[in-house]
Amino acid sequence: MPGPFTYFIWFVGILCEAAVLVCALKKGAFRRYLLLNLYMAGLMIVELGRYRILSQYGQSSAQYAYFYYYSDALLTICLYFALSSLYSHVFSEMKAERYVKMGTLLLLAGTAAFSGAVVLQSSAKLLTHFVLELSQNLYFVGVVLTYVLWAAILKLKETRTRLIQLVLSLGIYFSLLAANYAIRNLYPQLGAVVAPLAQIFGTFLPVAWAYAFWRLPEEARLAPARLAVIPR
Amino acid sequence: MSRKLAVVFLTMLILVGAMGLKTVVTAHGDGSLVMANGSSPVPITPYKNGSSPVPITPYKVNGSSPVPITPY
Repeated sequence: MPGPFTYFIWFVGILCEAAVLVCALKKGAFRRYLLLNLYMAGLMIVELGRYRILSQYGQSSAQYAYFYYYSDALLTICLYFALSSLYSHVFSEMKAERYVKMGTLLLLAGTAAFSGAVVLQSSAKLLTHFVLELSQNLYFVGVVLTYVLWAAILKLKETRTRLIQLVLSLGIYFSLLAANYAIRNLYPQLGAVVAPLAQIFGTFLPVAWAYAFWRLPEEARLAPARLAVIPR
Repeated sequence: MSRKLAVVFLTMLILVGAMGLKTVVTAHGDGSLVMANGSSPVPITPYKNGSSPVPITPYKVNGSSPVPITPY
């Protein structure tokens, strides 16, 4: 069974996920960022389900492992759609929603096809392997998409503070997990220190999103940089 | 039409970039997975005893069944 620290971080994470939904509802941002909030609601439900299964069967049980990885794949797909909704927000003035939807579905289909092609090389437990591979590939697609979106925000000189906060926190979240993974593999002897960090990083996204919904109003704008004075 | 083609091109570009990034990140990995959802503890796998390097395979979550031979 996990130790008290693991449980503490876990419950803090669940509370933060609930806080995102409460803040979004209180500030009237639930429908505006519907997919983000649905992802957070799904994450909270899955976390509670994981707790139930872990306390019933134990951390090393097959039930917990299957539930954990299958639910993670579903959540990654939800997060992918949530990210695509941020694209729709950023490109809303360009009336490019149709193209964003088309690109989203095409990319998901391409990732699924790629994952399927990789998994077909092995023979046993096809569905489980596919779920793991798809989840992993979508994670990396999400990383690239977030950086591309951040580049687009810079290029378009986006000033909506809340939107910028949501995108930036997603980028930092993905980067933290990738850095943690890289350090874990580069320095396996640090595993005892680095592994719990991944769990702590899991609480970053709900905290950042709760802050964005609670403290940053939808009308808030970043002040544009001062105009450069060019001497004649 | 050209806009649709641009979307297809960008999609393929992102897919290639993501798979390239994945290859770079996981090339020297121990085969474990990057989990990106929530703060719940990762299931305990059979490969957690001692500090020896874990066998290179991403498929290590299926109980005690033999691990399939993969190209990784």
